[in-house]
Formats: sequence, structure tokens, C-alpha cells
Amino acid sequence: MVSTIAPADQPALAPPRRKQPMWRSPGAVAAYIFILPYVIFFVAFRILPALYGVALSFGDYSLSGTFELLGLDNYVRLFADPLFWNALRVTGIYALIAIPLTVAISLGMAQLCNRVLRGMSFYRSIFFLPVVTSPVLSGIIFIWLFSTDGPINTALSAIGLPTGSWLQSSVLVLPALALVSAWMNFGYNMLILLAGMLAIPQEYYEAAQLDGASPWRRFRSVTLPLLKPALFFVLVLETVKSFQAFDTIYVMTSGGPVRSSYTLTYMIYDQGFGYFDFGYASATGVVLLVITLVFSLIQRRLIGRNA
Amino acid sequence: MVATLTETSLDARPSYGPAAPGGKGARRRSDVRMHVLLIIASVVTIFPFYAMIVISLQPGEAIKFPDALFPSDISFSSYEQAVGSQNIPRWIANSTIYSVVSVVLVLLFASMAGYAFAKKRFFGRELLFWVFVAMLMIPYHLTIIPQYIIVGQLGGLNTMWGMIVPTIANAQAMFLMRQFIQDVPDELIDAARIDGAGEFRVYWSIVLPQTKPILATLGTFVFLWHWNDFLWPLVAQQSPANYVLTVGINSLQQQEVPLATVMAAAVITFVPALLVFIVLQRYFVRGVMMSGLK
Repeated sequence: MVSTIAPADQPALAPPRRKQPMWRSPGAVAAYIFILPYVIFFVAFRILPALYGVALSFGDYSLSGTFELLGLDNYVRLFADPLFWNALRVTGIYALIAIPLTVAISLGMAQLCNRVLRGMSFYRSIFFLPVVTSPVLSGIIFIWLFSTDGPINTALSAIGLPTGSWLQSSVLVLPALALVSAWMNFGYNMLILLAGMLAIPQEYYEAAQLDGASPWRRFRSVTLPLLKPALFFVLVLETVKSFQAFDTIYVMTSGGPVRSSYTLTYMIYDQGFGYFDFGYASATGVVLLVITLVFSLIQRRLIGRNA
Repeated sequence: MVATLTETSLDARPSYGPAAPGGKGARRRSDVRMHVLLIIASVVTIFPFYAMIVISLQPGEAIKFPDALFPSDISFSSYEQAVGSQNIPRWIANSTIYSVVSVVLVLLFASMAGYAFAKKRFFGRELLFWVFVAMLMIPYHLTIIPQYIIVGQLGGLNTMWGMIVPTIANAQAMFLMRQFIQDVPDELIDAARIDGAGEFRVYWSIVLPQTKPILATLGTFVFLWHWNDFLWPLVAQQSPANYVLTVGINSLQQQEVPLATVMAAAVITFVPALLVFIVLQRYFVRGVMMSGLK
């Protein structure tokens, strides 16, 4: 849904024909009335909180309702806090595991589903079920699946692979969380990629086949390059999701064990609603904002060059 | 169990790729291979749901793997437990109100604003629109603390309206409505106006009926967002009676409630989302595909 941020495809405003100023014309008055409810709620609960959040990061807000300006104190404290650097590292590692894993699974599943086969629509419906499932439910179920003598370990040992105590291990906890995220999101991405694959002209495949290209070669040299816009969109989506992962972490690990799944978003929650240190939590939030902005600028650059 | 996806847009293509070389036999063999792969993927995808349902039907207290996955006798006692001794009926009501009221208000406000942005010229239109776009860049987690403070100052913490109100100015919904309403022919609107229809009449009886498919798509999305929402309801409600289902089952999980009861509650939470998905799947799938193509 993020992509509905449409470019300015509005025609430029035509010069007003009437004598009265445009903002007083009957149409404009009606327009203001139509946007009024939306604008009121948007200003009160989107714009104001965003500005307020940045302001809070430069001060301290006590629950009694007093705000004290502290300048850069929160940031000085933040950059000296090992907890913050740990959260930054955890967020980065989680993103590095979750993004490639989810995108690869989504791409594979899209390729698998991109054919006419009896019952295909039924399979696709099944792959979409995790998407409509609440992350809290997914978390609760996967706690049991990942338990030391649970199904995942049993399956692993049955095929001769080593087992682990996933959610209790500081090494395995992030891969485990990334796996849950891949399970929850691949159906959505798969559909986007499938839409992109269907837009590729059939003739390209026929030409490649005439040249004797193998299926793998056709996938690499025809599908992948032409799928780039959809693939980049999925990549951006997954990047944002991995930076903002919270629900499953809250439910499954509470940031543990020993803070090895303590991400930036978890830190915002923990400092804000665990310690009610709103200023400090907001400073963490501003750092997350800056990181998000930098990444989306880089990705936008890349899309501009490639698509 | 699951209704089929509509094939309208997904299967526009008669066949995938060039026909397999080697004629019919090879084709059939490759089809069988595909079915095997798809069935394996389906089993992996569905297994967590199967585990949830099977555990919720266990009569005993202790749930041991792997016996739990192949139940010998089935019992609904966990469901009785869940509905009888927990707050679950209240949570169902809270989740329903939170989701349904939000859907109505989001669709109403987004379509009104979308109509004005698509079809009317007014001073500040471009500027306002770009402010809305820019706000999408702000991470939700940065705004949740100020949102909590603002709702608190309005006296809305621990109330239903306080939980709903911050969620109804939905930017994505407004953009989508605007984009869709741009395609409503101007002639239709002008004709209605010549017939003497007032501003609200034009919006309600001419524009809205034209946007039914997108309203259904958005409605499905917004319902599922709210039904599955967690962080905001978690911080906005303190007393267990006011929890929504997601927050409630998480609190059960953290207490000493038997796993079978937690899973029964999980099934109860999952079923409405599943029903909405099955009934409105067509619209949901279209929404996802639209998001990728724009």
C-alpha cells in the first residue's frame, strides 16, 4: 500500500477564470468542508505527534505533564549508551537476515506459482493465509514450534541436522525471528512479484527458448531483469518492515535472551512504556527516523537508476 | 477450506512459459513435480495453523510433542474454559468495535478528502497533499509516544474512542481514494450538478457508488489492520476488560493459563480474519497487486 504515494500527476492549476479569488468560489468552500474532518484528524494525530516526537527528544517529559528542555542531553546519553549500540547492531543483523531470506522465499514461491496448473488458485490462497494472521498469533504459535523439543527441532534431527534452543540462544534468536517474518510476509510479496511476472511479454520466453536457453537461464536473463521494479518495491517494503519489526519480538522474546533481540523499535517501546522515559525513547525514535530516511533515499536513487 | 482466488488478473496468461519439450508425457511429469513442490510448500505454510488448532483441542493439561500433533481424542473444554472464565467475550466485542468503527470512519473521511483532492480546485491543494505524502516517511514508533500523550491529555486513554480516534486519518486510504476518484468521469458529476444535485449529494450518490470496488478493497485492508493491530491497543488500554483480542491473548500467554486455552483463544481470534479473507479475497488480492504495479 505504501506505493500509493503517487507522483504529482495532477495537472497544474489552471488560471482562475472567475473574478472572485479561487479560495472563495463555491467549489472551493465545499472542498474545504470535504477535507476538513480528514485534515483535523491528520493534523492532530499524525503531524502534531511527529513534531512533538522530535521536540520530546530534546527534553524530558514527566507523567505529571511537565516538559523540561534539555537540549542535546538525550542524544549525548544515547550515543554513550551500550544499550543503544547493541540495539543498532541487533537491528542491522536482523535486517541482514530477514530481508534476503524473505525476498528469496517470495521470489521462489512466485516463480513456483507462475504457471497454469489445476488447483493453483487453491495453493495461492493457502500461501496467503499467514498474511492475514495477526503477528501476535504467529508469535504465540512459533514459540511452541521453536521450543527445545518442539516440531522444528524434531524435524531437524530427523533429517540429521543439528538442533538448537532457538529462542533461548543469543545466536539463533534473530534467525528464528527472521524465519517467522518470512512465513508471515512471503505471501504478500509473492503476489506483487507474480503481478510483475505476468506483465512480462510471453514472446521473450519464446525467443529465449529458441536460442536454447535453459529454464534457469530464462529465469536469470529474462524474468529477473524485467522484474526489477516489482523486486525493488518488495525490497523497500521488506526493509521498512525489518526496521520496524516489533510485535513478534515483543510476544516471542521481549528483546531477549540478554537483549540479543533488543531492536531499536523495541528500545523505543522499552524506554518509553517500560521506564516512561519519553524524551530518551523519542531520541531513539529520531535516530530510527534518520536511518529510515537515509535508506529510502539510497533505495530511491537505486530505483531511479535501474528502473 | 479456502475459497479460490479470482483468476481474473492472475491467470490472464494461457500458459506459463513455452510448452515443455518432449510432448504430452513430459508435460504431465513436470506437472506432477510441480504439484509435489506446491504441496510441500503448502504443508509447511499450513503447519503452524494445524498445530494451533490441534493443541486447542487437547483435553489434558500437559501438551507433549509429538503426541499433541496426532490427537487420539478431541475435546472442546479449552474453548469452554476460554469463553467461560476469561475476558474473551469482552475482547471479541472490543476488537469488533475497534475494527468496524475504524473501517467506517476511515472510508468516510478518506473518500471525502480523496474526492476533494481529485475533483476540486482549491488554494493549498498541492501543498497539503505533499505534506500528507511526506508524513508517510515518519516511522510509526516515533509518533506513538506523542500520540499516547495527546490522547492522554484529551482523556482518551483506557477508552474505546481514545483508541479509535488516532487511527482514522489514514494516508494510504486517502491516496488510494484520490487515485480512484480521478477516474470517475467529470461528465457524470457535471450532469448531476446540472440536475440540481448539491455538493454532498454529488459525493454520496454519484461519486461513492462509482468507487465500490476500491471501498471493498480498502475496507478489507483496514479491517485486518485493526483486527490484528497490537502496539497501539497495548499502550492505550490498561485494564484487562478493555483489551482487544491480540493484547488479550498475549496477556494469557504470559500468565499461567494452559497452552490449550491460549491456543483456543488464538483460534477464536483467527477465525474472523479468516472469514473476512475468504469472503473478500478478491478485493484483497486486487489491493496487493495494485500496490505493486503503481
